[in-house]
Amino acid sequence: MATTHLLRTRPTRAWPDVFDELRRDMDTLFHRYGEGPSARPRGVFPPVNLYETAEAYVLTAELPGVEAGDVHVSLQGSTLVLEGERKGAGSPTDASAHRIERPTGSFRRAFDLPAAVDGDQAEASTRNGVLMLRLPKAPEHQPRRIDVRGQE
Amino acid sequence: MTTDTLEARDKQPVEAEWTRPGPVFRPDVDVLERPDGYVIFADLPGADETSVDIKLEQGVLTLDAQLPTFPSESWTQVHAEYRSGSYHREFRLSKDIDAAAVSAKMRDGVLELHLPKSSAARKRSITVQAA
Repeated sequence: MATTHLLRTRPTRAWPDVFDELRRDMDTLFHRYGEGPSARPRGVFPPVNLYETAEAYVLTAELPGVEAGDVHVSLQGSTLVLEGERKGAGSPTDASAHRIERPTGSFRRAFDLPAAVDGDQAEASTRNGVLMLRLPKAPEHQPRRIDVRGQE
Repeated sequence: MTTDTLEARDKQPVEAEWTRPGPVFRPDVDVLERPDGYVIFADLPGADETSVDIKLEQGVLTLDAQLPTFPSESWTQVHAEYRSGSYHREFRLSKDIDAAAVSAKMRDGVLELHLPKSSAARKRSITVQAA
């Protein structure tokens, strides 16, 4: 499994076994949607965006058709892992496919967050096929107000 | 923009001018044919039933969805892999579809369109009775 560095502040680490695992995952995914008449190569699934606020990081991922129960999020240190399965429309035997463009299969992505987050306070929700993860920054990365005192 | 036809897979270019701001995306679709009709699944992440607009005019089904601006808050984006905008795609329907019976539903950002075949187009088995 390859780690996506969400900010390129750290050197990319070589994880050969992890890359092999990713390649297998990707082969599965591409094989499954290479069957369709208009399949085209695409980037990794799911695509994500990361936003930063003063107190938290917010990660969003486009996961249309993935129910909340089919996506799993885990956090270890500043490494976030997103994995799950996107099930197909469940084509019954009496249906013939004219066009299959929507990818199906299992997915797994790892992200190296720019800073440590407070995993206990993390929140995840899905809405209209978009996953939103709110990851409050660890206390040492939270903005702190320091009062300036005058001389007494 | 291209028009997809359920009769054949050839794509036809369609001239389109956009009067709305922001990017417009062509959603990924699965098109299945069943004995009683066609089913289209379209990936519209971020869209709900209120943001989707489906029109059926002169045998062309037009699918539009306009997403609310995201994020609404003033967040700093530090990593970007996808953009949000509108969705648009057109389908040329075969003549055997019963336009009045087309139905649609949204679930988890996926639109499911049911296009029943007109009763004349369905295969019927006729039982031969003994005289």
